[in-house]
Amino acid sequence: MEELIRLYHGDGGKHTALLIRELFYKYFGNEMLLQGLDAGVFHTAEGRLAFTTDSFVIKPLFFPGGDIGKLAVYGTTNDLAVSGAKPLYVSAGFIIEEGFKLDELERIVRSMRVACQETGACIITGDTKVVEKGAVDGIFINTSGIGIVDCAYCHKEVKPGDHIIVTGSIAEHGAAIALERYKIPVKGPFSSDCGSVYNIITQLKPYYSGIKLMKDPTRGGLATALNEISEREGMESNICEHAIPIRREVEGICRLLGLDPLYLACEGRVILVVDPDISSAVLQRIKSCENGMGACIIGSFTGRREEVVYLQTNIGGKRILNPLEGPMLPRIC
Amino acid sequence: MDTKRLITCLMEDIRKKTASELNLMEVCGTHTRAFFQSGIREMLPPSIRLLSGPGCPVCVTDEACIDAAIALLKEKDIHLATFGDMLRVRGTHESLSDQFGKRGNVSIAYSPLDCLALSKKLSGRQLVFLAVGFETTAPSIALAVKLAKENGIGNLSFLMALKRMPPVLHHILAAKRNRLHGIICPGHVAAVMGARYFSFIAQEYAIPAVICGFEAMDMACGIYMLTRQCNGQERSSLRNLYKTCVGDEGNATANKLLQEVFEVDEASWRGIGRIKDSAYVLSSRYKDFDALNRFCIRLSNPLPKSGCSCGDVIIGNILPYECRMFEVVCRPQNPLGPCMVSSEGSCAIYFNNGRVPMK
Repeated sequence: MEELIRLYHGDGGKHTALLIRELFYKYFGNEMLLQGLDAGVFHTAEGRLAFTTDSFVIKPLFFPGGDIGKLAVYGTTNDLAVSGAKPLYVSAGFIIEEGFKLDELERIVRSMRVACQETGACIITGDTKVVEKGAVDGIFINTSGIGIVDCAYCHKEVKPGDHIIVTGSIAEHGAAIALERYKIPVKGPFSSDCGSVYNIITQLKPYYSGIKLMKDPTRGGLATALNEISEREGMESNICEHAIPIRREVEGICRLLGLDPLYLACEGRVILVVDPDISSAVLQRIKSCENGMGACIIGSFTGRREEVVYLQTNIGGKRILNPLEGPMLPRIC
Repeated sequence: MDTKRLITCLMEDIRKKTASELNLMEVCGTHTRAFFQSGIREMLPPSIRLLSGPGCPVCVTDEACIDAAIALLKEKDIHLATFGDMLRVRGTHESLSDQFGKRGNVSIAYSPLDCLALSKKLSGRQLVFLAVGFETTAPSIALAVKLAKENGIGNLSFLMALKRMPPVLHHILAAKRNRLHGIICPGHVAAVMGARYFSFIAQEYAIPAVICGFEAMDMACGIYMLTRQCNGQERSSLRNLYKTCVGDEGNATANKLLQEVFEVDEASWRGIGRIKDSAYVLSSRYKDFDALNRFCIRLSNPLPKSGCSCGDVIIGNILPYECRMFEVVCRPQNPLGPCMVSSEGSCAIYFNNGRVPMK
């Protein structure tokens, strides 16, 4: 491993995984952690609990469709939800730069409360630190969350033929952030999908036995999340370009900026791997939710023991979706 | 007939009628990426080899230019703005993102015109725009220079690294080392300069050329037209299949601006060397806005790095996979050469969208 920590060690891609495997697992490794899931799940006398944590260091702090506070609550409660857990309690740690505006902090905290109300979780502990100017960029927030896992749900082995479902149109958070970050003066309905997915997952209780796994495609987007699943399961997956839900405006802006929507973050979507016998029923149930109306079956696992994700393109060609290495920056021309 | 069937038919026809091996060069990085992402590369018969050309602005910007930008940042306390892709390209020793990480005095601009507003915000501090690109970005840069002069903006200047396409294509076609059979011209350059800008390819070198768009159907038709000419079904000529965007004469307003603000000079191309008449530099009327003049900075003559084959990749001598550093040492997170940096750089495109073929 290289001697210095670089920004790319934190981008959620290949190098983050390498750092986790080679350093954190080396010293912290235990059965629960080594499963590498969105939340650690452990047994208690009363049942299973899921525990997760996430830190939010985003720029800009406020964006169309949300802000760092909303993201901090949903980021953690969604990780619990995709682990099959009902989010119960959340902690909130704030590291604030001296000189940060109090009314902006209140806006952030207010939206954290709204997000908690929606998921039914409560913030029951917290911490506040203020650091000198320049030590952080505005505000960093860490949230941890604990939830109780539904007794009918567990993570299961993926089998050949299992279907892949995504619960709504992709890349909306990533596109909204890119427009803000690069100050692109384009007007249009660009808004982050930042929101809770817990309401969708509770609807799927009758089908838990046929749901193999769930994952929220946040950093690195759909393509990165599918690569992680393929790698974990040691199996090839195959998705169809024409089946992937994406809004035309988002597709258009990605073309303009030279960004690939398959690698842009979603903050209110879930990828589900589902037994093909129940996938239509699961899809219908997801579609009955307001934030699941755009859900689609986008592909399946093929059974080939190769850790690769293929995309069947609209014109009948084939493309490999490799895990992305390096950040995507807007192109020049 | 729907697009998918039509493309399948075209591919079938290409497969049937192409007996010999054909080397076709897509000059523009956007085409390279679109060929991968549409899946067309996988649909072509193995006898057709697609080679990337020198059409990625990041890939051809030489070390001396990055070094000059870094020298300005270090020695003159300026603020630098440039296109996002440029931040990660290394000069002789470091990249702009290293400087960016250290002091926060580098901004990403999506349009050079953003610099007019940014220069006001900097309240007197000098702003330098690192002006890279081809005939595509040149008009907006020309407009920014012109407006800066008209509005008397004294704290904005331009570090010029703009390049012109025809001289480098002459350089490649005259060398004949890569045995090119056809050229897919850069569609965006053609939109600005007009289709005739590329007519020399067929006229002087008797090599078929097409101008096509970036949709799967456009590119499939482009390759189909090239193979028809290569197979002798049609005579070699320049075919413009992108008439919705590309006229014969190009964009008159843009061309007028280019003529007013720039003049042509020799340029240094990374990995290739110096090519006559291949640079746009500021004309004498606008020399005051040249950052090198304003800050008395001279371009260095960096020695080419050993090991990296970017120069051979962008003139079609080798495929990215054929560089011995590809994937082994040179990766998007640790780019040795500029082709691995930009999302439009040929090596990065091959790395992110393909797999090294089994030997």
